[in-house]
Amino acid sequence: MLDVAIVGYAQSPSWRNAELTEPQFLFPVISEAIERAGIERRDIGFTCAGSCDYLSGQTFAFVSNLEAVGAWPPISESHVEMDGAWALYEAWVRLQHGDIDLALAFGSGKSSPGRLDEVFSLQLDPYTLTPLGADPVSLAALQARAMLDKGTITERDMAEIAARSRQSAADNPHAQIRSSPDADALLQEPYLTAPLRRHDLPPVSDGACAVVLATADRARATCERPAWIRGIDHRVEPHQPGMRDLTESISTRQAAKHAGVDDAPVDVAELCATFTHQERLLREAMGLDDTVRVNPSGGPLAANPVMAVGLARIAEAARAISEGGAGRAVAHATSGQCLQQNLVCVLEGA
Amino acid sequence: MSAADTAPAEDGPVTMMDYFMQLEYHELLCPVVRRYASQLLEGRLVGHKCPSCGLVYVPPRGYCPICVVETTDADEIVLADKGTVTNYTVVTPVQYYGQEETEPFVRASILLDGEGGMMNLQDIVDVPVDDVHVGMRVEAVWKPPGERNVDEISNRSWGSAEGCIDGWRPTGDPDVPAEQLRDKAF
Ligand SMILES: [Zn+2]
Repeated sequence: MLDVAIVGYAQSPSWRNAELTEPQFLFPVISEAIERAGIERRDIGFTCAGSCDYLSGQTFAFVSNLEAVGAWPPISESHVEMDGAWALYEAWVRLQHGDIDLALAFGSGKSSPGRLDEVFSLQLDPYTLTPLGADPVSLAALQARAMLDKGTITERDMAEIAARSRQSAADNPHAQIRSSPDADALLQEPYLTAPLRRHDLPPVSDGACAVVLATADRARATCERPAWIRGIDHRVEPHQPGMRDLTESISTRQAAKHAGVDDAPVDVAELCATFTHQERLLREAMGLDDTVRVNPSGGPLAANPVMAVGLARIAEAARAISEGGAGRAVAHATSGQCLQQNLVCVLEGA
Repeated sequence: MSAADTAPAEDGPVTMMDYFMQLEYHELLCPVVRRYASQLLEGRLVGHKCPSCGLVYVPPRGYCPICVVETTDADEIVLADKGTVTNYTVVTPVQYYGQEETEPFVRASILLDGEGGMMNLQDIVDVPVDDVHVGMRVEAVWKPPGERNVDEISNRSWGSAEGCIDGWRPTGDPDVPAEQLRDKAF
């Protein structure tokens, strides 16, 4: 495999209801990522975007997003109807050909115009689950209930994860929720969808993230401390949640193993734990012990721009290495309900 | 989300199930389109002229995607409400569920006079569909000031002036030669 590193990244703020259009808020994010990478836009050999037309309710919305890239004269580009983390994966694969040395990956989404519970129930089996209105929060509640019944987590653990995540986001200018009452206070709140309380859920967010990748020589030339991608892998489990043991994440375990998470100690992990209980599940699947700093950015519980939130985990992990002095970081992204599909990326400073 | 069809099945095995669903979206108007809409209500078509390449965008987008530069109110210009048909399609409606049109109608691209700017997907009125042609000179048919609305203006409208301009009618001026209109269609 060719060595590839992250040499630039940028994120928009996370808004509850952005008045800018998706291409409008992508525009400065892509420009900033390119500028921070210290490269020229025209030197990018491949561009890949991640977004979801169902979120904005507009056919071919992903084409408008290219207006923020600079696609004239024509460029080589691709799109995944997935989180931008999978766009980064495609860009990494493209760089393995060895004929280009720079690639741009970005993810963006506006969750605010529609209703996420309705949109995401359409991801499911159209015969049995979609007509039931099986939405992400209800399914996550079933998963949390299964973990509580199994004794792998308590409601107090979940409240502590919520409080720690949002308090960690205090210094993150991209986050939407940047403070939290302590666990005792959170546990006084009523259930939203039992056993989940409001604090167990992520906010509804609009936002974008962009990352610039470079092959070895180019990375060393343009970046003082690149974040090297030492392993990246993604695995998927059955579509039907009823066919899975929701109390563990086999696909995360496999992706982590193939990405080499346990080859050396991990300093920082940025996990796409969209619901509190999933952080526990992911830590166990990846074998991350208590010495690992999990989601110092606040993670998805502090800002959840769907389609950008996974790529933002990779950008935050890269930031921990390039700016924060971490030696080894793990980033995780997810797709589907109850952690159906998972991507794990291992980054190192040297 | 609406419920599945709950009518009782007729005798025999159920081989088909109707499932009706809908998704609703409510998006805030972005500032440049809000400004465009407020100007439409005043009877003015405005756009942004790219400070780098001079291309005119209507409605304004807040950037020029060709040059990758942002545009602002400082780049706003008032556009002509006369122009030339550069291309068109005759749409023959198929009576699918929700289709309200019954007769063939035109959707045209119009290059505005003067500074330029392309209005796309515009209705051509007061003329038989078969007489619409490339190079035809047209002018906007504004609704009277008291009857204007911007209810249908959204961030995703491509040159729409619905609610303020009913369509474009022939002026009777001589045609513009088609060769002068190349690369001026949506
Ligand atoms: Zn321009």
